[in-house]
Amino acid sequence: MPGPFPGKAVRVHAEKSVDSATHQVDAPIVAQMLSRGMRSLTGAKNERDAWANFFDATDVVGIKVNCSGAPNIYSATEVVGGIVSNLTALGIPTRNIYIYERFPDQLSSVHYERHVPAGVNIIAAEMSRGSVASYDPNTYVETNFFGEDDTRSNMIRLVTERFTKIINVPNMKDHGAAGVTGCLKNIAYGDFSNVARSHNREKTNTLSFIGTLAMVEPLRSRTVLQIMDGLRGVWHGGPFSDNPKYRFYPKAIVFGTDPVAIDRLLLDVIENKRKAEGAVSIWDRSMDHVKPGRNLGPRFNNFIREPGHIEYASRLGLGMYNLEQIAVTNIEV
Amino acid sequence: MTLLLAALLPTLATGPADADAVKLDVPKVEYRINEASASRSPWIDANGWQILRAPARRYYYDVPAASVALAAAEAFMYGAKADIHTDTAGAAMFNRMLQFLRQIPERGDLPTMANIGVIDDGSEETGELMNLLTRRNLLYRIVTAPDPHLDLNIRLGSEEYPKSEAQDPSRLAQKIRSELTDEKRLLRVYGSEVVIARLVGTGGQVRIHLLNYANRPVTGLRVRVLGTCPEWHVAAYDKPNLKLQDFTTADGATEFTVPEMNTYAVIDLSAQPGSH
Repeated sequence: MPGPFPGKAVRVHAEKSVDSATHQVDAPIVAQMLSRGMRSLTGAKNERDAWANFFDATDVVGIKVNCSGAPNIYSATEVVGGIVSNLTALGIPTRNIYIYERFPDQLSSVHYERHVPAGVNIIAAEMSRGSVASYDPNTYVETNFFGEDDTRSNMIRLVTERFTKIINVPNMKDHGAAGVTGCLKNIAYGDFSNVARSHNREKTNTLSFIGTLAMVEPLRSRTVLQIMDGLRGVWHGGPFSDNPKYRFYPKAIVFGTDPVAIDRLLLDVIENKRKAEGAVSIWDRSMDHVKPGRNLGPRFNNFIREPGHIEYASRLGLGMYNLEQIAVTNIEV
Repeated sequence: MTLLLAALLPTLATGPADADAVKLDVPKVEYRINEASASRSPWIDANGWQILRAPARRYYYDVPAASVALAAAEAFMYGAKADIHTDTAGAAMFNRMLQFLRQIPERGDLPTMANIGVIDDGSEETGELMNLLTRRNLLYRIVTAPDPHLDLNIRLGSEEYPKSEAQDPSRLAQKIRSELTDEKRLLRVYGSEVVIARLVGTGGQVRIHLLNYANRPVTGLRVRVLGTCPEWHVAAYDKPNLKLQDFTTADGATEFTVPEMNTYAVIDLSAQPGSH
């Protein structure tokens, strides 16, 4: 990261990609969106060449999905299935493709296995919540936020020892602590242990911790492609999606290699939607709008949000934050 | 100097507790949702500080079967003279743990290894401070006067540690940790908030006791000990074939992963090859 296309984002929108009434995704349309997006991003003439820009048959590929809003909002099975199809078309054996997340209850509720060929690995890092057994003991970020005794966050061992490439597939979601959760949050907090310790009472350290984690090698250099699934989204209460009132349907997929650029665009998507719904701004830092508890209305948050984590990550060299430096290609399917 | 009494085994009580025996709490973890935080912070009911404060006393536990193994291991870890009161099901659990404790290699009376000296005035405040230090694996031993060999000496009521600070023992434990610094800590435990450790040894011979207060296994526990000790031996309750993983010695420290432990594990480290 930011990879070969810094400051570049391809947004593919398809009005018929999701039925807002039934929540159902149209798989053939999603396949078209993937094809158009990848070809536009890479400038390749065909789909195979587009994917071959990033992968070859020798790669072991991790697909970092986001299931924290499951079973309602997650990296769509149609998107992930389409990615897997394109990888196998390059000759990558299914045994060398991994769909992964941190928590098994969230991951298993999505049933990716029904949408990918047999042999694709579907793996949660923490088979027992809080266990660090599947994390690399030698690759970690050590810091003390609030006096917690376990001051380490370790990287998932598959990333350090098995994957040669990673595709990041976040959603378009509000996040009570980070402001939004997109590419950076998904790849950072989704690949390390013991990250919830960065939040305590109204304070969260997501401002600096997200970028700090994302730039740790080998995660940084192996994450070669960002495919943000914005077919369905969450404008409040994220990263969870308990309340259907807070779901919305951007009906878009955004492609790129620069996580900062894509997340910069996401800030506006979530902020504009919240504004339209009368919700407090993601940039609001007033304690008048901070309250503990779940299922708070859109005028309240659990934390003082830190949407500045995206700009912070840009200062670490992870991508382009200024809109003037971001070239967006809009495609309509 | 406080010594761990070697191979002092707990006993299963058959009659009423001795009148002069001190009753200990049922050791356990209480998981609680901290409503002000996204995280859960478990509360550990542990008795180590009481035993260390009065090691010569007789203690007893009155525990259900599910807590017998933990109680017996806790008593053993701190060298307590302790009786366990329980029911028939608990007696079977006790005997199983006792069988394991008997198999732990004898190392003699190894001194407690600590960073901190606590000058114990016998007060409730100092007791609660020791409880917090124990639960946070901030290794201490009780001293009668400041020991210059330790990194830090604490006397509640002193200018540095006024009694008023003991009103918030958690904050005081944090202050002590900050003053000590994590870099100097003889032992760190990563990957669990419910494992309490005890370190005994001298020079190149170190014994680490790890006690899991939860009623479920801990997996992937990472332990760091200051000092370079490339040789190891592990004895783990209900895990006869357990091997340490990702064992490293670097930067003046030894690190390893305990892949899975139930109630209790004892790890011997040595600087000398073939010493186990």
